[in-house]
Amino acid sequence: MAFEDLLNDPVIQKYLHELVGPTGMPVAAAPPDGEVTDEELAEELGLELNDVRRALFILYENDLAEYRRVRDEDSGWLTYLWTFHYENIPENLEEEMYRLLTAIEDREEYERTHEFYLCEVCSIRFEFGEAMDFGFECPECGSPLDAMENDRLIDAMERRADELRDELNVDVTG
Amino acid sequence: MSVSELEADLSEDEQAGLELIRETGGIHQSDFWKELDVSSRKGSRIAEALEESGLIKREDTVYDGHNTFYLEPAARDLDFSLLMAGDMLSPFIGEEEVDGQSDAFSQWLMNLAYEEY
Repeated sequence: MAFEDLLNDPVIQKYLHELVGPTGMPVAAAPPDGEVTDEELAEELGLELNDVRRALFILYENDLAEYRRVRDEDSGWLTYLWTFHYENIPENLEEEMYRLLTAIEDREEYERTHEFYLCEVCSIRFEFGEAMDFGFECPECGSPLDAMENDRLIDAMERRADELRDELNVDVTG
Repeated sequence: MSVSELEADLSEDEQAGLELIRETGGIHQSDFWKELDVSSRKGSRIAEALEESGLIKREDTVYDGHNTFYLEPAARDLDFSLLMAGDMLSPFIGEEEVDGQSDAFSQWLMNLAYEEY
């Protein structure tokens, strides 16, 4: 098996699982060295050919596998020979770290500039305006809505955003 | 090999070089050897060895009017666990759009605030 060092990282395992789902995971978790056909993988892993193909195409869409087609001269059938490119995983995850940072920064701004009310029974959060429209009563269960502090949430966002910026060497602007 | 195993194999000079590249987040090779207080030849060998091990990226560039290399930490060297909140991975993986108001992201942030920190 190739790329064992990467696959030992629990975050990378989780990432692959997120992409291909549980049925595709046997394909994603055991990339062979060199080229392999979808039929070989299905046979080796005891999976349906369709599930193998689905997983391979998801990996392909994420730059983690590529294929070349070879025509069998006798039968005229096309064979797909697949190569795994897990060396691209770190760069994909780097990109995800940037995306996450952007989302945290946007959300932090929203959390700082709004006030929230909570129904403790239903665990639903309302913006101040919504809560007022409902007369500060939960529209689901009728319980009173209480003002909700989000300092802890903001602190957590700030902390993770700092860690991400530090790790990605993003300069703080503004 | 994992990043920590690779690092264990580095010489003292290479360790110092890697440390410098990580601290700066990226540095030109022409500044690199001066900062490390080694000869340019030695600096070049250290950078090559680190590139060889996959711990850094080394790309041609022009800096101050001369050709040099830009050295920066390789992506594999990043701490990917920053994508996790508790046992939940960033909800934007596998998604085209980044929606900062999605329920999945709210859940992720709750995990972050109440489980992680």
